[in-house]
Amino acid sequence: MTQGSVPRLEIRGLTKTFGGARALDRADLTLMPGEVHGLLGSNGSGKSTLIKVLSGFHAPDEGELRIDGRDIALPIPLGRSETHGLAFVHQNLGLLHDATVLENLIAGDHERLRPWWIDWRAEAERARKLFAEHHLDLAPDDIVADLSPVKRAQLAIVRAADRVREHREHGAPGVLVLDEPTPFLPQEDVRDLFAMMRRLTANGVAIIFVSHDIDEVMEVTDRCTVLRDGHVIGTFDTAVTERSALVEAIVGRAVSVDRRVSPLPAAAPAVEVRDLSGEIVEGISLSVQPGEILGLTGLIGSGYDEVPALLAGAQRATAGQLKLGGRSLDVPTLDPADAMAARIVFIPADRQRAGIAPDLSLTENAMLPLIGGRLALNKRRLRKDTGELIRRYSVKASSSEQAASELSGGNQQKLVLGKWLQLRPQLVLLDEPTQGIDVGARQEIYDRLLEVCADGGAVICATSEFEQLEIIAHRVLIFDRGRIQSELKGQDVTKSAIAQACYKAVETHAAE
Amino acid sequence: MRQSSLTYQLERFGLVVVWLAFIALFGVLRPDTFLTWSNFSTIFGSEAVLVIVTLGIIIPLTAGDFDLSIAQTLTLVSMATALLDARLDVPLWLVLPIGLGIGALVGVVNGAITIYFRVHSLIVTLGVGTFLHGITLFIGNSQTISGVSPALMEWVIIQRYFGIPVAFYYAIGLAAVIWYMMGYTAFGQQLLFTGRGREVGRLSGVSVGRVRLTAFVMSGVLGALAGILYTGTTGSANPSSGTYLLLPAFAAAFLGATCIRPGRFNPWGSVIAVYFLVTGINGLSVLGFRTFVQDLFYGGALVLAVMVSQLVSGRKERAL
Repeated sequence: MTQGSVPRLEIRGLTKTFGGARALDRADLTLMPGEVHGLLGSNGSGKSTLIKVLSGFHAPDEGELRIDGRDIALPIPLGRSETHGLAFVHQNLGLLHDATVLENLIAGDHERLRPWWIDWRAEAERARKLFAEHHLDLAPDDIVADLSPVKRAQLAIVRAADRVREHREHGAPGVLVLDEPTPFLPQEDVRDLFAMMRRLTANGVAIIFVSHDIDEVMEVTDRCTVLRDGHVIGTFDTAVTERSALVEAIVGRAVSVDRRVSPLPAAAPAVEVRDLSGEIVEGISLSVQPGEILGLTGLIGSGYDEVPALLAGAQRATAGQLKLGGRSLDVPTLDPADAMAARIVFIPADRQRAGIAPDLSLTENAMLPLIGGRLALNKRRLRKDTGELIRRYSVKASSSEQAASELSGGNQQKLVLGKWLQLRPQLVLLDEPTQGIDVGARQEIYDRLLEVCADGGAVICATSEFEQLEIIAHRVLIFDRGRIQSELKGQDVTKSAIAQACYKAVETHAAE
Repeated sequence: MRQSSLTYQLERFGLVVVWLAFIALFGVLRPDTFLTWSNFSTIFGSEAVLVIVTLGIIIPLTAGDFDLSIAQTLTLVSMATALLDARLDVPLWLVLPIGLGIGALVGVVNGAITIYFRVHSLIVTLGVGTFLHGITLFIGNSQTISGVSPALMEWVIIQRYFGIPVAFYYAIGLAAVIWYMMGYTAFGQQLLFTGRGREVGRLSGVSVGRVRLTAFVMSGVLGALAGILYTGTTGSANPSSGTYLLLPAFAAAFLGATCIRPGRFNPWGSVIAVYFLVTGINGLSVLGFRTFVQDLFYGGALVLAVMVSQLVSGRKERAL
């Protein structure tokens, strides 16, 4: 990093409000040529809002953007960020898996390609040169689906780098934004990626590296900026900064929230899970006692969010036993119907697709699990029951016959919760139960979960919202790369302790 | 849903109103030929086959699948019935279950390929339908088979109540059964969730694959029934009989989904849509328009029906 030169990118006073809440509050960021700049912060810190302003997805309320000393008008029109030398690699990489490496490489490169004729041979030659230049072992004719995860990431990054180099209006190397490119990569492959990043910066490209993983940030960045609650907490010189200082900047001082659960007397477990394995989780065991809310959390890609779907039979487990109410169930052969028969219910994260059928009425949505295989439905009775359910779960609706799509997100979720809790379950499984829901509805959902506990039910709640766990979880398991890394209980369940434990999980792993 | 509001009632019965307006218009223009009971009873009786085909396709359509093979199932079963009855002298009590069995088998094949190989039903049933047509041409030697026993015709077209052939009452009876099944049984709800919220249904314990398979078997059996009635109606089987029923059936299914229970494929809407379409064509031909008017009318109605249903759902989204 060269000192004293013109910054490659400069953000001043960037502010963005969503419905009264400040997602970004006068944020500043300076990116020097040849620098890898880390961007850190937990969920809701404003990181992704900042990235989305740069990509043109959000129009900021206020703020200035300068690239190589030139003022850039905000908002940037969507799809025009490349002309300013900005390119993005998001976590999903944006590759078409069925297509070849070459097809992916040139996809969307409208400005360079002629619209009426593609010279495939010349393009392949150009791709080979590009890969050689970056020391990448990629062949133009390979199918992306056959590549290893790290090669896919490299392809996405080299594509972005190529784009900024080609379309730079005034010739200088541009800015790459890497938005969480590493969580699904094995450790040794992450090193390859870092080497590639270094080769890019050696040519003057500047990189914004967004990550949850502090160790990766410590390893690859020159400087890093920490965001919390929309504010820039500070920009740190990585080489002279302690890891603990970064963690503290991310987590902040604990703002206490009202914890709504009190310690439970020791009791025999209501639910026992042994050796559960799925796509990410591997051989985990856990237990929940009657009346307990067990929180599951971790950083992105750690696998905590898989557990509810596996136990509900919604996603196929590869191994695992589930003991509940004196019965032992084989999780890999579990179907949703079996889970329901065992009085296990599952409230999925994807409400619009898996929670409700938006076109169908509230009655139809709420009564589906109750009607079984009946040959004569008493419609009046079903409507009446739905009316009662709507009242009991305070779903704001004008009629039990209106389409579920007409409800707000919070009311939809209350309906889903009511639909399942009316079965009087022994085990309630939740995946991000309050995503996109307003504060009032959140509290009502917490009330219902606490009622389940009071009746002796067991609750497992997977969430990335630490504050939610502090409010309602008796106990929290922190996941790391498919395994349970640590456990917090009782008074130790605080937002900052959970965050500390999450980041510590990564540290322990790196030390192995 | 504003059950009581005027606009909703207008939406529900809009097609009926337009139908009556058509009848009034043609009746004023050609009172002697169009507005006669014999003209109407002929329409009601002869188009019962189309009603049953339409009722057949709305079952898989509700579950989110297309059955394009139904018209060729009809042709094949029609041909098989004529051959067994007229050429091989198989007794009718045996011919009918064989015919329906063929329909069920086609449904199993359609469903199995669609579900277990995860191929879109549009493609599967397009191919299966063409294959069935090949079988029809083969077994019938590409010829029209006539000489069907009068007993079959007796119980399809000759028997009349209030002047209308009995086939019409079969169709109405089936519509009532399907209306009950769709609205008042758990299977009807499962069918609906399979089409409109498949993942929600799956997580609620609905065996989505089995529901889709059952829907295909039902449409196959109804296609076969329509084939038997076709043979009974005309007293013969010809190898192209079903080909001209597929598009009208889809037009009626989508048009029917704009009325009675707007936004859903529903049996009474389908019945009304079929008779609306054939009334229109009958009236235009009485006015002296030639056969090209059929294609204009059916094709136009199909496209118009899907446009209307998109408008209706679009309006709901904007109202949010």
